Amino acid sequence: MAEIQAAEGESGDYAAHHPEAIKHDEALCTSGADEYFLNIKRELSQVDRLVSDAVNNLVISFKYIRKLTSSHHDVVLAIEKMSVPEGSKSILELLEKQMIIADKIEHELEMTITSLQFGDLVTQLLAHTANQVEALNLELQRIDRKRNWKENIDKNAFDAIQDGISKAVKIAKSKSKSKRKPVVQQGMQMGDIELF
Amino acid sequence: MAKTILAVDDSASIRQMVAFTLKGAGYEVIQAVDGQDALDKASYHQVNLVLTDINMPHMDGLKLLELLRELAHYKNIPILILTTESGDEIKAKGRAAGATGWLVKPFDPKRLLEVISKVID
Repeated sequence: MAEIQAAEGESGDYAAHHPEAIKHDEALCTSGADEYFLNIKRELSQVDRLVSDAVNNLVISFKYIRKLTSSHHDVVLAIEKMSVPEGSKSILELLEKQMIIADKIEHELEMTITSLQFGDLVTQLLAHTANQVEALNLELQRIDRKRNWKENIDKNAFDAIQDGISKAVKIAKSKSKSKRKPVVQQGMQMGDIELF
Repeated sequence: MAKTILAVDDSASIRQMVAFTLKGAGYEVIQAVDGQDALDKASYHQVNLVLTDINMPHMDGLKLLELLRELAHYKNIPILILTTESGDEIKAKGRAAGATGWLVKPFDPKRLLEVISKVID
C-alpha cells in the first residue's frame, strides 16, 4: 500500500486533471481491494485452524481408542490363558469371537491412519491458495501503479482496466455482503446453547 | 536391538501417524519438526533410516537430504521422502540429492512398513 501511495504521489499531472477519479479509484482499488483480499486470507486461515483443531481432536481420540483396543486384546489373551474348566466350550467360543473383534478393530484403526493425514493435505492446499490470492492482489496493485506511468502507456486503456477492477471489487464486495457468513467459530469447542 | 528411524515433518498429526505406525512395528522413533531440527538430532542419535517431508519451514527436506549426505554416517543410510508432492521435476531433484525412495502422502501404514523393511536391512 505504501508503494502505491508513493507512486500516486508522483503522478501530479493525472491527479491534477482527474482529482475525483483518483479519489474514487484509491478508495476502491487500494483500501477496498486490500481489505477484500485480506478477508479472503483471514477466512482461509480460519479454515486451516478449524481443520487443524479437528485433526488434533481426532488424533487424540484415535490414540485413546487404540489404547483401549490394545488393553481389550490383552485381557482376552489373559482369560484364554487361564485354565478353563471342562465343558466350558461356550466360554472358549466367546473368547475366540472377542479376539476376532479385537483384531478387526485394530485393522480398522490402521485404516484410519491414512484418512487422518487429510489435515496436512488441506493445510498445504490452503497455503497454496493463499499464495495465489496474494499473487492476484500483487498483480492488481501493479496495474494500479502503472496507471501513474501514463507518459509511456495508453491512459485510456489503463483507465478502462482501472474501472474494471474497481467495478469487480465493488460487485464482489456487495455480493459477499448480501450473504451471511455461515461459520464464525474459530475452534472445534462445543458451541453455546440457548433455550427459549 | 530396535532400529531407529528419524521422522521429519512439520505437521504434528503426520508425525504422530508415522510414529504410531513405526512404533507398532517395533522401531524406535525420533521426531523432528523441520530440516534444521532433524539435522541437530541426526548429529547425536544413531539413526538407521530417515523419513522426511519436503515442504517445511526453516530448512526443507531436499536441503536436509543434501546436508545429511555430506555427513559420513549418513552417506549410506536410507533416506525416504514422504511428501504430498509427486511431480517429476522435484522427484528428480530428490533422486539427485541422494534420496532412497519417494512416498506420496497420504501413506498406507502397511505399505510404509513394507518399504522401510525393504530398505533398512
